[in-house]
Amino acid sequence: MPETMPETGELQARLDRLTEADFQRGLEVFRGKLGQAEASFLNSCVHCGLCAQSCHYHRADPALENIPAHRLELIASVFRRNFTLMGRLAPGLTGARPLDRKMAEAWLEAVFGRCSLCGRCSINCTVGIPLPRIFRAARAALGAMGLVPPDLQATVDTALKHGNNMAVTREDWVETVQWIEEELQLETGDPAARLPLDRQGANVLFTVNPREPKFFPLSLQASAKVFWAAGEDWTLASDGGWDLTNYGLFNCNDQEAGRITRNLVDAMARLGCRTLVIGECGHGYGAARWEGPEWLRQSFPFEVKSILELMDEYVRDGRIRLDPARNPLPVTLHDPCNLVRHGGVCEAQRRVLRGAVASFTEMTPNREQNFCCGGGGGQLAMARYKRRRLQAGGVKAEQIRQSGARIVVAPCHNCIDQLMELNREYQLNVQIKTVAEMVADAIVPAASPSEVSHDHR
Amino acid sequence: MGGLRLAVLLAAVWAVAALGCLYRNVQGYGRRTLYARPAGDPGRGVRYAFLQGMAPWAKESVRLNLPSYAAGLAFHAGLFAGFALLLAALCGLRPQGAARAAAGILTLAGGAGGLALLARRLRLASMRGLSSPDDYLSSLLCCGFVLLACGWTRTAALEPAWLAVAALLLAYVPLGKIRHCLFFFITRYQFGAFFGRRGTFPPGGSAHA
Repeated sequence: MPETMPETGELQARLDRLTEADFQRGLEVFRGKLGQAEASFLNSCVHCGLCAQSCHYHRADPALENIPAHRLELIASVFRRNFTLMGRLAPGLTGARPLDRKMAEAWLEAVFGRCSLCGRCSINCTVGIPLPRIFRAARAALGAMGLVPPDLQATVDTALKHGNNMAVTREDWVETVQWIEEELQLETGDPAARLPLDRQGANVLFTVNPREPKFFPLSLQASAKVFWAAGEDWTLASDGGWDLTNYGLFNCNDQEAGRITRNLVDAMARLGCRTLVIGECGHGYGAARWEGPEWLRQSFPFEVKSILELMDEYVRDGRIRLDPARNPLPVTLHDPCNLVRHGGVCEAQRRVLRGAVASFTEMTPNREQNFCCGGGGGQLAMARYKRRRLQAGGVKAEQIRQSGARIVVAPCHNCIDQLMELNREYQLNVQIKTVAEMVADAIVPAASPSEVSHDHR
Repeated sequence: MGGLRLAVLLAAVWAVAALGCLYRNVQGYGRRTLYARPAGDPGRGVRYAFLQGMAPWAKESVRLNLPSYAAGLAFHAGLFAGFALLLAALCGLRPQGAARAAAGILTLAGGAGGLALLARRLRLASMRGLSSPDDYLSSLLCCGFVLLACGWTRTAALEPAWLAVAALLLAYVPLGKIRHCLFFFITRYQFGAFFGRRGTFPPGGSAHA
């Protein structure tokens, strides 16, 4: 059962108030999210149950409700009842069921409460059903019925209202950037080291997670140090367009997600930058690189890259030099689902880390077969599911323990938050860092200032 | 016997026509235009999905459930063999010698595999929880068809019963989950194209390299 939270009552009250019109609206939105691919997926599951062990929720608690096929079946049963002839003619035979209050509650539990949209079940499905795409359609339908958990929706609302999801004011942001700039100058001994704001025509517009200025300024400083060492022509936006997060990916309201993405697109146009670089954030990368163009129905006139890809290029092209001896502790790497499995960025971070640390060990499994840390899919924003999230994260905790590493590198701030909680919950006694932090520590400064071209910084 | 053969033919026509209608219905949901620039080749992803991606070592779910995987393979091989025999029977042919032995082994293994999967569905509470009546009916029809096909390779006396079950099975194909005989291929294609486009498939072949 969910923990008792103030908003739990609010959600229950909303469930109790649902009307036939609400169910119809939910079905319409659900139908609108289905293309021929999704309709095929809903006809394909054979209930073999082999997906069960691929899910970290099921590994932590092997209940029927935690089998991905069961979650899919809840949705497919409504699809059959409303959109197929056999479902209407013989609902008992085909297991077709209506979308009513009880089913809406079951959907809520299934797609918000027991799923981080990590997609590991897709990779391991005997048929190959990309289940998160169906779960997203169900989340969107629940949203149309007013059933998005309020704290998750609040994160989206904050981003829509303030231009970033932590309501950081422009003044605070600019002051923080200036303060980090001073720290960077002290660290590098180079008074020309900059965190440029609103630099017109810069090659790179760099975006960050608001957790960085708020709680992890060293993370932003590390990225800035990498750009400094590489002699990159880069900038941050001082106003809308610096926050890479987009929780519209999780409440699955495409209009709201599109409005948040628009901040980035507008900043790129305003500043005339060539490449939008997403800081270390799995869902932020997925939202900007893959989903943003679909939400806005346009191909972006610029390239979207992860900072991991950029750092990989710097190492490959000799723009930064690294000394792995500066990071002597054993390191392992967490693969954020939206960056790796759903994002396709698998190898860049590995090449960078191998050059930056003395001892690198893979978790098992890894890459597209990685286990979710448990913090994805908006789980970190939904307090009512916290206990379950930490329980499901036990799988990742065990992977970390097995790796024997003392440092866990996670190129995603959502994952980092979850991993920090797992670190405490499971007493892992590890440090958790970003890739840029490891790289920044390993950077071998140029012998003289002339070795780094600072003309644009 | 002529009536049963006609029933099988009519059921086959119905199955193909109804699957065609289902396919058209699904197509009616529309194809999305994709705007994000691809990072990889969807075609390579599709090839991976249908070839290496089907191998036991490519999927943890298979590695952890090798007996079920083997039973599923045997079941499907038996079904294909059963339909090949059905085609022969409709043409008035009856396999002899090595062909008969091979067909007998394939269908016997298929029947055993199907029954093993049905037993697993009945035995495990989680599988019972996942199952609807359609799951049991589909399994029973397929097992019956395959085992009777096996029997028919030994004795022609089973032909009426086999043809009757074949007609029922074919009639049921588009109505229940056996429709995955069509949708498996569409879904697998979409799966490969999706992860191929994103550069995840084939693993290690990322366009982000």
